[in-house]
Amino acid sequence: MFLEIKGIKKSFGTGDSRVNVLKGLDLEIERGEFCVLLGPSGSGKSTLLNIIGGIDGADEGSITIDGEQLEDMTEKKLSLYRRKHLGYIFQMYNLIPNLTLRENIEVGAYLSDRPLDVDELMHTLGIYEHQNKLPNQLSGGQQQRTAIGRAIVKNPDILLCDEPTGALDYNTSKEILKLIETVNQKYGNTIVMVTHNDAIKDMADRVVKLRDGMIRKNYCNEHKLSASELEW
Amino acid sequence: MKSPLRKRLPRELKSEIGKYLVVLILMIATIGFVSGFLVADGSMLKAYNEGFEKYKIEDGNFRVKKKITKSQRENIEKNGVTLYENFYLEEALDNGSTMRIFKNREEVNLVCLMEGKLPEKAGEMAIDRMYADNNGISVGDTLKSGSKEWKVTGFVALSDYSCLFQNNNDSMFDAVKFGVSIVTPEEFESLDQKKLQYSYSWVYDKAPKNEKQEKKMSEDLMEALGEEVTLESFVPQYLNQAITFTGDDMGSDRAMMTMLLYMIIVIIAFVFGITISNTIRKEAGVIGTLRASGYTRKELIGHYMALPVIVTLIGAVIGNILGYTALKNVCAGMYYGSYSLPTYVTVWNADAFWMTTVVPVLIMLVVNYGILRYKLRLSPLKFLRRDLSGSRRKRAVRLSPKLGIFHRFRLRVIFQNMSNYIVLFIGIIFANLLLFFGLLLPSVLSHYQQDIQSNMLAKYQYMLEVPVSAMSGNKLDSMLELLQFSYGTKTENEDAEAFSAYSLETLPSKYKTDEVILYGIKPDSKYIDADLEDGDGVYISSAYAEKFLLKSGDSITLKEKYEKTKYTFEVKGIYKYSGGICVFMPQEQLNDTFDLGNDYFSGYFSNSKIKDIDGKYIGSVLDLEALTKISRQLDVSMGNMMGMVNAFAIGIYMVVIYLLSKIIIEKNAQAISMTKILGYTNGEISRLYIWSTTIVVIICLLLSLPIEKAVMNVLFREMMLTSISGWIALWIDPKIYVEMFLIGIGTYAVVAILEYRRIKHVPMGEALKNVE
Repeated sequence: MFLEIKGIKKSFGTGDSRVNVLKGLDLEIERGEFCVLLGPSGSGKSTLLNIIGGIDGADEGSITIDGEQLEDMTEKKLSLYRRKHLGYIFQMYNLIPNLTLRENIEVGAYLSDRPLDVDELMHTLGIYEHQNKLPNQLSGGQQQRTAIGRAIVKNPDILLCDEPTGALDYNTSKEILKLIETVNQKYGNTIVMVTHNDAIKDMADRVVKLRDGMIRKNYCNEHKLSASELEW
Repeated sequence: MKSPLRKRLPRELKSEIGKYLVVLILMIATIGFVSGFLVADGSMLKAYNEGFEKYKIEDGNFRVKKKITKSQRENIEKNGVTLYENFYLEEALDNGSTMRIFKNREEVNLVCLMEGKLPEKAGEMAIDRMYADNNGISVGDTLKSGSKEWKVTGFVALSDYSCLFQNNNDSMFDAVKFGVSIVTPEEFESLDQKKLQYSYSWVYDKAPKNEKQEKKMSEDLMEALGEEVTLESFVPQYLNQAITFTGDDMGSDRAMMTMLLYMIIVIIAFVFGITISNTIRKEAGVIGTLRASGYTRKELIGHYMALPVIVTLIGAVIGNILGYTALKNVCAGMYYGSYSLPTYVTVWNADAFWMTTVVPVLIMLVVNYGILRYKLRLSPLKFLRRDLSGSRRKRAVRLSPKLGIFHRFRLRVIFQNMSNYIVLFIGIIFANLLLFFGLLLPSVLSHYQQDIQSNMLAKYQYMLEVPVSAMSGNKLDSMLELLQFSYGTKTENEDAEAFSAYSLETLPSKYKTDEVILYGIKPDSKYIDADLEDGDGVYISSAYAEKFLLKSGDSITLKEKYEKTKYTFEVKGIYKYSGGICVFMPQEQLNDTFDLGNDYFSGYFSNSKIKDIDGKYIGSVLDLEALTKISRQLDVSMGNMMGMVNAFAIGIYMVVIYLLSKIIIEKNAQAISMTKILGYTNGEISRLYIWSTTIVVIICLLLSLPIEKAVMNVLFREMMLTSISGWIALWIDPKIYVEMFLIGIGTYAVVAILEYRRIKHVPMGEALKNVE
């Protein structure tokens, strides 16, 4: 198994204000799988994503990626882990505001020994002609394409997407989902996507539904749709 | 109802306590020091000015060969003056210095007891407090001069010697090798009366109304004295450096100190301005919401201005408290380190309050109001959309993709923070100027001493004592004096070469009037290697040329000291001599110009000591020690201050860099967090963000050097012109540039370590905040 999550627990706060966000999760994801985490606000899906991404730690349990255990890693090793294995896409893009579109992607490329070709990637993402613009000169969709470019340019094993279409309109959201689908098919990355949008589950290989810090449903999609077929 | 926004202020203060504390400390130190200086300066200046009446300071003094007779005295006093005996004699002490000893004064030039008690019996002496400080003498110690001994009973300040000038013509006072003291009348009588100097002080019966009248009255008195006695010296109060130098100098540092304060306040105001801009960017959503809810721009300006102004006010209050207490003493100590001032009482200084409290708060208000008004000019909607660009969105500067991503990244950080870096550059220039000054002075003085040593006209210059009466007053006396003088000053020493000398002064200007010594040199002189024979012009010393920016072909006009007669000479060349402001011309020409007679001469150059001239004709000997008096005194009076100046400069430098680089890191916290999530290590992130500032700091340090050199050229020149007679050329030891650079880098390294820690502590969660 490529990604193995066992007995993950996580709580925030202390005393009376302590909230148990994750209450012991077990999950396994295959290499190259497209997994969607669904659930209402506060269900713990973003927290789980952050723990997988090594930017937050679990209170209990273990996460193993390609044989490497996260909880044993020092901060430096975690950095190397993220560098080697992960790409991150956020709802609010989080581009570096004083770098151009191209430079934002190159910031990701620098981290890899074998990065994808930046020009080719920008063509694939449809943002080549905007390469010298700063993020504040781009539309939301263009910014999210750039964020995808930055995440996948280093050809990561896992692409973690936290509500990647949350701030976008319907058409742009569909374009972004198509891109993520293309990336998954073209480069074979494992994708874990957190979303509120129930319709997206139809394009996933695996659907995991969370509520109150527990997995309520975990199933594989036998009749998955392509992104262009999705409607909501 | 009061604005509920004010509740944010203590929280903002708490969350940014480091920044506000650093600024507060700098403000307290600056305001405290300047306030202390102004209070001490004002109080001491008041004490100094009141001292003229309180200590009955003379209106002038003159010295004669013999004690004046009763009838001479009556005739002189008919000119509207009262005369007082102020006889003294000088003893060479075993510690190598000269002590001028007076009887305790009871009528004029009264003495202020600073410590201990006044002498009460023979063998006791009260000495000048500053001379004692400089020579490590304590009350109870014994001073020796050969077989003679005096017990030091106390420290005093003689009101007519607030500055220890041994001779009024000296280019600088010397509180190390020269001291003044008082003894009891019986002790005074027991001293070697052959050495007695008949000095008389005079006080006008009707005080002159102004300086012009004072000059006229003194000129009239000098003429009248010339008719009655043979004058050896004549010094009206306004020309007496021992009395006036202190008062002139005390006011002169005021402007510099005030300028220092204002520059620091303006720099801090801009640092606050940048901080505020950063806060506005961070709080755009909040501002948009508040504006949309009905808060006016004025209310928000008031809110964001509150903390900088409060911090300035607190800084001003604490600074002033320190200024009136501990720091006042430090600053007064600096004056006591240079001058023999009497005790003073601290007085309320309205100017100091205005300059150190009102003006800094006003500067802070104006600068921050301007920045806030500009930043908050946008509509609420723009704030809500976080679109703070105001005009059209800025386009990115094109950078070649061939340049590595790290290089481009750093350049982008530099472009992004250009306004911070401009303030940083100004801060670096300012701090480095202070540092430059602190490092410069010791090396300038030591170079000056070396320069003088290697360019002395001769190892010894014997200036024979030409009586003042030979220059003015009774013509017959004058002739006789010169005749006697000429016969009594022959020497067999083969090294000796006679020269003539005559003293004139520069024309009055806004700077100190300089005494210019004109040397009349023999043809084929073995000491002065200049082509003087044609008589078609004069050579001037390099010190003269540098001080007055003169070159060959220029004309110089000089005047008689107490007369209006002027002389103009054409400068034929510059003679390398930094020991004094002098003019060299053929002896014959000098004697002729001043009508001194063909055989007249007034001194000898010699590379060996002349032992066969009667001591009574030797007025002074200019040797290395005498020539380096200026540098020695400057070293004593300013040397201690230099360490403080350096520390202050490093402090300002560190605070400015710390605050601005902190802002840069805070501004980029989200981007830093994102790069961490991407997998960049803290070291790599530091290479991106800290290196950008490092590059700018290095460039600023290097770029600032020529600017600082140019500014220092002007400042140093101005300082020398206003504070000393004579000239010390600015000489910058190249290693000072290296030191400044290294101190700059070293100081920055400390800040960089703090910034590295800050980067390390930026949480990855920062990127997850819902900020666009």
